[in-house]
Formats: sequence, C-alpha cells, structure tokens
Amino acid sequence: MSRWLGLSASKETVVVVDAEIPDDDGPIIIWSDDTWKVQKGDRAAAYNVLHQQCTDYIKETGIDAVVVKASAVAGRGSATLGLLLSAEVRGVVIAAAASQCLVKTLSKAVISKSYGDRKVDEYVGDDDFWADKTAGGELRKLSRETAMLLISARNA
Amino acid sequence: MSGFVSDLKLGGKVGNGAFGEVFKGEDPAHGQVAVKVLKREVFHDDTTWPDFKASYLAEAKNLAKANHRNVVQLHHVVEASDGNSVMICMAFCPGGSLQRAFDGGPMVLSAVRKVGTEVLMGLGAMHARGMIHRDLKPANILLNAKAEAQISDFGLVTDSLIMGYASQAGYADHVAYEVWNGKGASAKSDIWALGMTLYRLLHGKVWYEASPAPRNVVKNGGFAGALTWLPHVTKPWRTALRKMLNDDDTARCQNATQALKVLASLPTTPAWEPSVTADLVTWKQTKGMRRIVVEWKRHSRRHHEWSAWSEPLGKGQNRRLAGSGGVVSGGAAIKGLEGFFA
Repeated sequence: MSRWLGLSASKETVVVVDAEIPDDDGPIIIWSDDTWKVQKGDRAAAYNVLHQQCTDYIKETGIDAVVVKASAVAGRGSATLGLLLSAEVRGVVIAAAASQCLVKTLSKAVISKSYGDRKVDEYVGDDDFWADKTAGGELRKLSRETAMLLISARNA
Repeated sequence: MSGFVSDLKLGGKVGNGAFGEVFKGEDPAHGQVAVKVLKREVFHDDTTWPDFKASYLAEAKNLAKANHRNVVQLHHVVEASDGNSVMICMAFCPGGSLQRAFDGGPMVLSAVRKVGTEVLMGLGAMHARGMIHRDLKPANILLNAKAEAQISDFGLVTDSLIMGYASQAGYADHVAYEVWNGKGASAKSDIWALGMTLYRLLHGKVWYEASPAPRNVVKNGGFAGALTWLPHVTKPWRTALRKMLNDDDTARCQNATQALKVLASLPTTPAWEPSVTADLVTWKQTKGMRRIVVEWKRHSRRHHEWSAWSEPLGKGQNRRLAGSGGVVSGGAAIKGLEGFFA
C-alpha cells in the first residue's frame, strides 16, 4: 500500500487529490480532496509560496509518488496567456514534487488511449465508475479528472 | 559517560521570553545561537515545577526533532544539575521579533500577508505532527537572516499556563473564545491567535491599544464583529480576519491549509504605507512620478477632518484628490476615507 498525490494545475489553482493506493485491485482510498490557490499579486512570490506548500504537503503526509496532469495544447490556435500561466503553475508543482518523491506526468489523451475502453471525459461523468473505484473521503466532481490520474497510473 | 564539557559561550541578554531570559550565544557546531534559560519562578511550587519541567523538556525535545523553515530550529536542551533551570539552545534570528514592527506602527498589506503565509506554513507542518503553539503573537514570530518569519516557542506553553498565572503576564490577548470558555487549546485556537496577530500587525500598537483589550472582551463573545479597522483595510481583509477570529470554532478556518487559501485571495495593492499617532493618521504611496498622501486629523473625539492630495516627486504642483471639506464627525470621516480607499 502506498500514498499518492494527483495534481491538476490551472493558472490560479491546483486541484489536489491525496489517496492511498492498495496493493490489490481494490478502490483507491481518498484521504483528502482540496484546492491550493495561487496567491493574488506578484507571481514570483506566489510561485515561491506554492512550491513550499507543495513540498511541505508531500513531506508532512509521507506521499510516495505524485502524478501531475500534463500540459496539452487546446486546438490549433496559438497559446493563450491563461494557458501559459497554467503551464508555469504546473512547472512549479512538478519541481516541488520532484524535490520530495517520484513524479509522473500523464496527459488526458494518453489516459484515454491507455486506460479502459472509454475516453476520460466519459469516465469522469459516470457516477457508478467512481462508486466502484474510490472509497474513503468525499471526492468532488471537479476533482474526478485529477483522481483519474491516480487510477490510470496504478494500472500502468 | 561523564566529563564532557559544552563549548557554548553565552553572550549578552537579547530579551525575555515565556518564563525565561534569552541570551545571544556562540556554539561550536551552529555558530551564532540564541539561548533561552528557564528558571523556576516563585509561582512554581514543589508540585507544579516538576510537572512543568517534565512537560517543557518533552516538548522541547520533540521540537528539536522537528525541522521547518518557518519554525525556529531548536538545537539542544539541557537541564541544570540543580534541577531548577532548563537551557534551550536554538537558531539565532537576526531580524528580531515582530513585536518591534507592531510597536512601530501598521505594516503594509503585502508584508502582513507574507508573515501570515509563512506562519501558516510553519503552523500547518507542526499541527500535522500533533503540536499546538497556544501562544502565537507578534513577540513569538521572529525574522531570520532572509527576513522569513519563523515561529518561536512552539508548544512550550501549556493550557494551564495560558489560563492560569500566565494570563497576568500579557499572554491572554491571544486566547480564543472557546479557550476562555473551557474548551482547551487546539489547532483552531492557534488559527484564532494568528488572526489576532495579523490584526495587530495591520493596525500597529497605537490603534490597537485605543480599543478595549481583547483579554477583557473576547470571553464575552462577538469580538470579531466589534473590531475597529483602519479605513484602508478593505472588505476582503476584514472578512478574512473575521473568519479567523470567529467565536464559533466550527465556522472558523479549520486548519492552516484553509487559512492559506483565504490569505491567497487577499489584495495587497495599492501599497499604502500607513502611520498612526493619537491625533493623526497618514497614508502614503508612490505612483509613477507622484506621491499620493492621505491625512486624517483627529482634532477631538467628535471633530475630524481628512484630505487626500498628490504631490510631485520633482518639480510641479500639488493636486487635491478628495477630502472632508472641513471638520466632520468621526463616523463621516471614516465613511469618507473608506470610500476613498475602496
């Protein structure tokens, strides 16, 4: 049994799902489902805080591995500022996590190809799937995609 | 084994902490250190002293194992051979405590949020290890060489000390409503104490001491709703601090992570630099090549006046921005200023 953390970054928040991964095929056990906010104002100071928050969490809770939702290009248009800022936030948590434990990045496209026979969005909307695959604490609907990183990674 | 002698050299006294004096020291392994010496006081009778000492030593040893950038690192703890004092050797923080900043006046919003964030990082880590501070206040927050806030005296005060004889020593301004009413200290009462600390740092000593002392009113309930605010402290800040200072500990920020989230959303601009004396409050900020100044004159309890103008940093003329247009009541002045800062 090990303890993993799933992270999905956006320009202003990071969704954090902390779960125990059983050695057998049983459901993952949710320890916590939270959102870290990127501080308003100066981005450099905000990233420093986020880096420390991420490092502390992994250290204090004894997380064994972290799975981060990978960057992806939306459509064929040029990158928006929001997308670039999200990528910055993602880089911060990847670096912070890597200072403490193993880190894996997974994109939605890769999960769709490698896990099960449906696309990620279909699993995310399927309440029965989540009732079957998770136990323990409450998991918000908005955090299902982050938890999917853990479910997919354990099967890799 | 015996016969080992410490090469720790004690220097001058740098201050007084909870139940002891703090000295500067030089340690062969850690360089410059702070050394706190706790002596048996008159109120420690033969029954309470051994218990106090044992609990103190246990907490200190526990703390020595902990390591966090926002908690003052404790190096080692030694009990004197006569059993009447304990010496704690810890990291020296050259920036001193935030008591000095509090005494000097209100801090700017960005500095207060930085302190709050750093203290919450330290609190969160220590709470995760099952430790409670119980006595968080500006004097127990030190600044290291990088001007990072570090919590000192973690877990070295017990519930009985806070509610008993120690209340006479001034610790009681940071005691939460539920602790006054017999519930005992918890991580949530530490959050309350941090809310109180941030309120104090935002307003400075002169403003803080113009209101009834918290130690006399918190126990009656409704404290957060009765706070008086400097007009530049905007609604999001007031809401955040009221949430940390809520009487109901189930409606308060439940842990350091939740409080961090609340602080993350707070605006830190415009960067007003406030200054408070008994009859004059001023704010200043520089915008481009001009300085904006706001002055609030408190002629008497009922007669107030305020004005705001900008002045050039080089050549040029002053420009009037807003003001009360003469003497008005205190309520009207505050309303006008809050409208100006909003």
